[in-house]
Amino acid sequence: MKNNILILPSIIFFLILSIFLYLLIIDRNPSEIPSNLLNKNTPIFEAKSLFKNEKFISANEFKDEIILVNFFATWCKPCRDEHVYIQRFADEKDLKIIGINYKDNNKKAIKWLEDLGNPYENVLIDKKGKIAIDWGVYGIPETFIINSNGIIMYRNVGPITNKIYKKINLIINKNE
Amino acid sequence: MTIFLGNLFLLLCLIFSISQFFTSQKKNRFRFIAINVNGLLICSFLSFSLLIYSYVISDFSVLNVFENSHTTKPLLYKITGVWGNHEGSLLLWILVLTIFNYFIFKFYNNDNSNFITKTLQVQGLITAGFLLFTILTSNPFQKTVSEQSNGMGFNPILQDPALAIHPPLLYIGYVGFSAAFSMSVATLFLNGDQKIPWYSYMKPFVLTAWTFLTAGIALGSIWAYYELGWGGWWFWDPVENASFMPWLIGTALLHSLIVVEKRKSLMAWVLLLAILAFLLSVIGTFLVRSGILTSVHTFALDPSRGVYILIFTALLGGYSLILFGKKSKNYFDNNYFALFSKEGSILINNVLMIVVCATVFLGTIYPLIIEAFINKKISVGEPYFNSTTIPIIIPAILVMGVGPVLAWNKDRKREIFKKILPSILLTIIMTTLIFLFYQSYNLIGMIGIILGFWIISNNIILLIKKNRNYSKGMLIAHLGIGLLILGITGSSNWQEEKITRLKVSKSTQINEYNIIFKEINEIKGPNYIAIEGNFMVYDKNKNYITNLKPENRYYPITNTFTTEASIHTNLSRDLYLVLGEGNLNDGWVVKVYHNPLVIWIWIGALIIFAGGIVSTSNNLKKIKI
Repeated sequence: MKNNILILPSIIFFLILSIFLYLLIIDRNPSEIPSNLLNKNTPIFEAKSLFKNEKFISANEFKDEIILVNFFATWCKPCRDEHVYIQRFADEKDLKIIGINYKDNNKKAIKWLEDLGNPYENVLIDKKGKIAIDWGVYGIPETFIINSNGIIMYRNVGPITNKIYKKINLIINKNE
Repeated sequence: MTIFLGNLFLLLCLIFSISQFFTSQKKNRFRFIAINVNGLLICSFLSFSLLIYSYVISDFSVLNVFENSHTTKPLLYKITGVWGNHEGSLLLWILVLTIFNYFIFKFYNNDNSNFITKTLQVQGLITAGFLLFTILTSNPFQKTVSEQSNGMGFNPILQDPALAIHPPLLYIGYVGFSAAFSMSVATLFLNGDQKIPWYSYMKPFVLTAWTFLTAGIALGSIWAYYELGWGGWWFWDPVENASFMPWLIGTALLHSLIVVEKRKSLMAWVLLLAILAFLLSVIGTFLVRSGILTSVHTFALDPSRGVYILIFTALLGGYSLILFGKKSKNYFDNNYFALFSKEGSILINNVLMIVVCATVFLGTIYPLIIEAFINKKISVGEPYFNSTTIPIIIPAILVMGVGPVLAWNKDRKREIFKKILPSILLTIIMTTLIFLFYQSYNLIGMIGIILGFWIISNNIILLIKKNRNYSKGMLIAHLGIGLLILGITGSSNWQEEKITRLKVSKSTQINEYNIIFKEINEIKGPNYIAIEGNFMVYDKNKNYITNLKPENRYYPITNTFTTEASIHTNLSRDLYLVLGEGNLNDGWVVKVYHNPLVIWIWIGALIIFAGGIVSTSNNLKKIKI
């Protein structure tokens, strides 16, 4: 009896390790942080556009189609890395992509988009990071998917990788 | 050249460590082991120095330097930047390992040769494991692909003197536990058929580890308090928990070791604790570096690293725990403890420490368990930890006050009362005084203050009596704990917070202070620009107290913003001021905190550290004789 108890620590130890192992190898992204905004309406805001003269009014825009909202900045290196995926969404999918340029310099942003290509239908200026606060943004880059009823379906913190790219594709296909 | 030499030294380290593992089984091993131990120490020292040198001269052909440094960085932070990143910090970890390896070897003599060589064998395995990890997944000596004129910079939030020495202290703690781990395995392996006082060898290592871990955790808290600008010093972040859990186990281990020494009891228990303390250190490292949990500490994440550490942990843990399961019955005893005895109180405290540790562990990995089983993300935060740990810690502190006064074996209740009467009186007097002064009452606060003074008066009285029966180091460390409790209670129960928007020349009040926003200026630092607020602080009698100058810094190289809180400290409170965003027309957001007694947390930690050092040196003297 006494001897059986003594083996208990090693059993508990291996149980815990197997949970860790399971989480390490499954398709999992620790930066998918649950958002209070998930399954809710998009926050209401107005913003200036980088290229267009008219004001962007969120209530008029987030409806009738699937929209991808991407927070980015020219000073953010991971944003550069994920840019190819944003571009791929623009080329391959029928969806509206809105970029929100976070705490950035307008001239630099325009130059950046000229260099790397502009996948965004509209780029909004968030110089003071106020829009980002409304959206509960953790850090740049961050991406949201909004369905045709203006409801946030998905959120990703951090750059889009190949795995996340596939995942977002699935979500878009499901909502189409 | 640097790259080549760095890799060469790392490789030599690996060869020496593997050779240490194998040669310690041979006959006539002393000379072999001596070569390996010294070779390991020299090579790890050289490779570490080489990396420091590359940082100092800003050699951007080394990828690690290019990614984490910059020519404009002050020299001190160039050097400390070596361990401010994942790869460099591993190199430091290895250096500390080899230093401890050397000290274990120093204890070698003819009587304990089997025990020490077995210990060194396990150490060789651990060292080889970390070296392989470094070489395979996190090599600091990699070449930058193209020529670079300057580095990518350095996270400015890490440019802080407290944080500069925080990792080395912490590593001395973790690695010190590795020595205890190896000794525990060696003891179990040798079956108890050799009469070696393994516990006397283990104790100085555990004491060193515990002492430095305490200091390391305290410095981490200081950094969070001064640098993050959130007004607090402990956030139950996974990384904080990762260091707190080994600390709790280490505390239990340290105290049970005393029981083993005096009464030859609790041996199996101590062997288990020594294994767990190190395993928890490694698991903590795994949780932080594998990216399996998100935390405020950001290291570059790479899943292959996670898999490696996990396999390594499984190997170490599997071997040691199964060995424990099979062999530990050799160390059982049938001694029964009286409740009112020193060993009785230590046992109670042990159990309480383990329960706290298990609670913290559960809280830390609970989100992972939930995710593994029902695929939902939850987060466990401060409310859980506070409401579960505090009720367990309170009785532990009560026992801690009585424990040292009790005699070994058995004490009569009457005698106990006589012994603790002076400290009861002193506690009542001091508590009354503090409440007359602060005039603020709530239950947890009251309990905390009473317990704090309870510990302080007990230990001060014993220190004054100069009784030779008590270890001086223990009394000093316990005194530090008492002060720490006062600080924790004060700052967490009576903290006042005020967040407001202020225009220049307007004022705000907190506690009894009036704070006037005088002006705002732009200033230039060595590698940043900042706006700096200037606030005048007056007390209720309109006496000028101080100027507070919080800053918002911008580091152009890494494109990051940091807030520098401005703090005025005295023995009874901190005034803590943070400048938020704003402009001249609308004013600035200003956060003000009135944090009572915070300074006593740091003073307490310093005194605990001093006590630990005194104890360690006393114990080392004992072994030499």
